[in-house]
Amino acid sequence: MISLSDVSKTYNEGRPNAVTALHGVTLDIARTGVTVFMGPSGSGKTTLLSLVGCMARPTTGRITLDGEPVSGLPERFLTELRRVKFGFVFQRFNLIRGLSVLDNVMLPAAPSGEDPKAVQARAMMRLEALGLAEKALMPVEVLSGGETQRAAIARALVNDAPVLIADEPTANLDTALTHRFLDIVAGLRDAGKTVILTSHDPRIISASAVTAVVEMRDGQMVRGRG
Amino acid sequence: MKTLRRQRALADYTLAALARRKVKNSALVGVFSLVVFLLASAMFFASALRHEADTALQGVPDLIVQHLSLGRQGMISEDRIAELESIRGVSKVRGRLWGYYYDRVVGANYTVMVPDGGAMPPPGQVIVGEGVLRARGLDWEGAPLFLSRKQGDLSRFDIAKTFDSDSALLTADLLLMNEADFRAFFSVPAGVYTDIAARVRNANELATIVDKATRIMPDERFVTRDDIARTYMKLFDWREGLMVALGAMAMLAFAIFAADKASGLSAEESREIGILKAIGWDTRDVIAMKLWEGGLVSIGAFLLGCVAAYAHVFWFGATLFAPVLKGWAVIYPDFPLAPVIDAAQLVTLFLLTVLPYAAATVVPVWRVASADPDAVMR
Repeated sequence: MISLSDVSKTYNEGRPNAVTALHGVTLDIARTGVTVFMGPSGSGKTTLLSLVGCMARPTTGRITLDGEPVSGLPERFLTELRRVKFGFVFQRFNLIRGLSVLDNVMLPAAPSGEDPKAVQARAMMRLEALGLAEKALMPVEVLSGGETQRAAIARALVNDAPVLIADEPTANLDTALTHRFLDIVAGLRDAGKTVILTSHDPRIISASAVTAVVEMRDGQMVRGRG
Repeated sequence: MKTLRRQRALADYTLAALARRKVKNSALVGVFSLVVFLLASAMFFASALRHEADTALQGVPDLIVQHLSLGRQGMISEDRIAELESIRGVSKVRGRLWGYYYDRVVGANYTVMVPDGGAMPPPGQVIVGEGVLRARGLDWEGAPLFLSRKQGDLSRFDIAKTFDSDSALLTADLLLMNEADFRAFFSVPAGVYTDIAARVRNANELATIVDKATRIMPDERFVTRDDIARTYMKLFDWREGLMVALGAMAMLAFAIFAADKASGLSAEESREIGILKAIGWDTRDVIAMKLWEGGLVSIGAFLLGCVAAYAHVFWFGATLFAPVLKGWAVIYPDFPLAPVIDAAQLVTLFLLTVLPYAAATVVPVWRVASADPDAVMR
């Protein structure tokens, strides 16, 4: 269970350009399910996702992961959590240009000091499962939109993290690719992973794979389903 | 093992990242190597010249006695030899004959000497430095050397031998003559010498010996090996001063270059660091990766610059600096410098270039990497 208790987030705190993106959000996210944060642009869903994924600390409030408080941890422990517990798929995928697909997928494992052969084997397994094995040595720039997204998913899964976090994963995908993504998400859910997404795409919100939806507006949670 | 693997993974990523920006990184290595090349060339050259000077000084007598007339050096009487020999501790006293000859044909000055013992050329023959042959264009074997003191006068000398270029710094403009030929050519009467050279058995006694000799010969000037060494060093220091000026300019260029690097990262680099942090890289991992990058660039450039400088100075005769540093003359010595490398100077150069560059690389990275990685989400 990932729990947020009265969590607020203010950017540029104490400066004239301070912005409060989240106001007192209290929420429980079940493990082994697919949760979607939905809402219009500026509703605070990406900020909420950042806080859940330990990418930033809340200004006030408390976040726990499986009962352990994480919101007050120092940066290096948060980094460790991000590496071990979470896998991230960013809205623009954020693969590193110039590197091959395989190099990109192996990147999250670099600081772990694991045997490079074992990491490579795992990365290839992920790519194979996502139908990208034959493109492993190609630079990421030559991939299509759907392939880029699958490469990003493979990268997010390479450390075998139990939680996959994806920000607007279908924003740039057509219907066929969106369905393909939802199939992958369903597979991950069935494999016991927790998937947390942000989206305002009705195709995602109404998908059968989704187990919970949290509706956000103006930095507040307005409704929760599931 | 884990640490080693982590470093290997970071180094692998760094190499792949460097390969992505070939042009930018090649330019970086190029500028860096150029700075190191200039500084290292200057250092190698100065070290080698000092070494040459030290070698030259080893052959210099402990004490030279000159006669002064009207404040200028005049010929010294051979009677002084016996007077000097009478001082305890003085040995191998000998009169020396040497002078300069201005060759109007090519506008060059030669140093003409009567050699001491061994290499004495037979009458009518001379031993010459390679610079003299070059100046005169005497390329073929057995070509005679004609020297003229005044209009209508011509003396013929056959060339007995040529000095090899290993000793060219000292012998390029040298012309060795038999004593009789020297006296005849320069009209130097018997019984006088240019100066007198002597050895002193115990170097600690030199000051006392000079003291005694001054009392016996109040009109003469005494020049010790230390005096000559000081003059040599002043000469080299002055030339090194030029190199310091050149080095300062190179360092300034390097400082501007490093400051530019330290002033910030490109948007692409910052974004990349954000991505790495977001996917689980620690600030330390990012800094370690950037240190690998800085290290590979700066150590690579340092080695490249040093090897190029070594080749420039010791294989190609320091073509860029030689005209300034070797002195101004019609006859430039053409000689390969003996490779002498001062390890302490190299370490200093390493510390002055590689470390500031590494620091300049790390500071902006640290600033970016210590920020929350969620910026990459927005």
